[in-house]
Amino acid sequence: MIVEHSAIVAKGLGIRRGGRWILRPAFFGFAGGVIGIAGPPGAGKSTLLATLATLRRPRTGTLEIFGCEAGRSAELRPLRARIGYLPADARWGGGSTVHDFVSYAAYYQRRPSSSVRSVLAGLELGDVAEQPLDRLPPDLRVRAGLAAACVHEPDLALLDEPLAGLSYGAAADLTPLLATVAPTVVVTAADPADLLGWCDQVFLLNRGHLTERLPEGTRMLACV
Amino acid sequence: MSDTARVLRLARIGRVARVIRLDARQGSLLAAIPVIAGIGTITAWHALTPGVADWDATVAATGGSVRWLGPVAAALAAWTAQRGRRLDYLRALAARSPAAGPLHDLLLLGSVSVLGYGLAALTLSGRTVLGDEIGTPHPVGLLAGAAAIVLHVVAGYLVGRLSTHPATVVLVATVAVAWAWLRPADSLPGLLPPAVMEPVNLFEGLRPGVLTAQLFWALGLTTALVLGFVVRTTGQTRLLIGVAAAVAVTVVCTVRLVSYGGRVTGPAPVDLACRTWPITVCVHPALRTGLPSLTATIAPLASRLAETPAAFTRLKQLPPWEPASVSGGTARFHLPDLSPGYAQRTVREITSSLTPRRCAGNPYNALVDAWLLDEQAPVLGSASLAFGRWSEAERRSWLVLRFAAYQSCTLSPPLFD
Repeated sequence: MIVEHSAIVAKGLGIRRGGRWILRPAFFGFAGGVIGIAGPPGAGKSTLLATLATLRRPRTGTLEIFGCEAGRSAELRPLRARIGYLPADARWGGGSTVHDFVSYAAYYQRRPSSSVRSVLAGLELGDVAEQPLDRLPPDLRVRAGLAAACVHEPDLALLDEPLAGLSYGAAADLTPLLATVAPTVVVTAADPADLLGWCDQVFLLNRGHLTERLPEGTRMLACV
Repeated sequence: MSDTARVLRLARIGRVARVIRLDARQGSLLAAIPVIAGIGTITAWHALTPGVADWDATVAATGGSVRWLGPVAAALAAWTAQRGRRLDYLRALAARSPAAGPLHDLLLLGSVSVLGYGLAALTLSGRTVLGDEIGTPHPVGLLAGAAAIVLHVVAGYLVGRLSTHPATVVLVATVAVAWAWLRPADSLPGLLPPAVMEPVNLFEGLRPGVLTAQLFWALGLTTALVLGFVVRTTGQTRLLIGVAAAVAVTVVCTVRLVSYGGRVTGPAPVDLACRTWPITVCVHPALRTGLPSLTATIAPLASRLAETPAAFTRLKQLPPWEPASVSGGTARFHLPDLSPGYAQRTVREITSSLTPRRCAGNPYNALVDAWLLDEQAPVLGSASLAFGRWSEAERRSWLVLRFAAYQSCTLSPPLFD
């Protein structure tokens, strides 16, 4: 479904990886708010998210984000500065401290040091700012990843399985934060249940098809 | 610059340094510093002349080590460019120029490589300073080596970014090795960085003009490659002016190197260092520590040749391109280094220069040679028996009489009667 003023508009977007379709050519749009994409492991959620983050080129079709065509190099740089991306691999920062890790992101986003302090405070990471990332518990590590991804206050946050491996309580604490890191948030999870209740829209990605999971009592509609 | 501007600039440099430090820790690149330093030190040390603390030799050996270090640095850079890192996503989705990340990589890789090379150069320079240092340090030569390493880093990194094929790293290393080792010495290709540096002869010196041209050749090409990459990445076509200027510098330096005819060294005036008692022995000042041993070993030979036509009271070291000889009271010899046995080798060379090469077939000449060299005499029947029975004074008197026969290889048993 493509709505007017969609944050993300895909027109015939097809994604292939490893000789198979991750997403068969599809038309869809994400209007804004919190969009969840669920799918079993190996379905291609990470590849889809990396494509939406403009880090991968689609095989077919075009991708428009905030009205800019991602395939045009002239528009790509300012567009990318509006995107925050958190990959699924939780080892991003290695042994660096939270502060150094977020400062690294701030540097590349041309953000002053005050932005680092601000985002660390906003995500309640001030007490662990000097701790190495690989010694943090999983929920704090995700917060640190969020801080780095969103230090520049992006308009679109793409978060790849941020709740994976977290306890129920930690996930419950984190979801309100995830929903507010950007005006448009796209978040993935293996289990749709992890996304229900706090995402405005939930899509299912499986065998190359992206379908919207509608609230209970309504029929599931395919976006393609 | 105002204080505020200076503080802001320092803060900016500090941020860049922190970012590069994080990249270094992420990529474990700092571990490469001791590896590069170790390879550089070992290869350069191996190329040094034993017992000689000569700056020309040190600079040449250090520069020559780049032929090993360059391929290592190029392969490391290609590998770093190709493998990607965990934080690449932060660099890709950035407000900064897309060239910023790669330029930081190049800065880091260049620093790591130059630091490793610098440690090797420092070690070798320390050896020279602690020895009886001869000549001038030639900092331009050391900088030319550093620039050649940076060129390898940039070339390797850019190839690694352009090609994602897994064999790229091996290909980069192979090409760099071929470039370093398959160029002939004493030719223009051999002068291009990393220069094919043969061990520098003591009677020659490095040509500063060659070293300067090599330095700017490498810097010019490196700048052209980096700016070309930035133009390609960012589309800032105005930088093409810089590319053109850098290429022009490289071309000018190539022309300069051509004018040197492929020679990195040229004859250098030398004031020999002498020891005057009991005989006068003069050698290159870098070898003066060998004078006492040399004098002590040669003095007996000089005594035995006294009053013969080959008598000498003065010894003079020669450049390698001049033949050894004994004439006019002066023995001229070669002394390439002070490796163990150098004094004996010198005595042997002087003795060999007394007679033509064909005397090697005459056993009676060998008998006299053994005496002159204080070696075990061959057994030759009655001649050797007679010669062996004679006192030192009798042998010297006999040699004065028979020197013409000795020199013309016509010694025979009757001459020992």
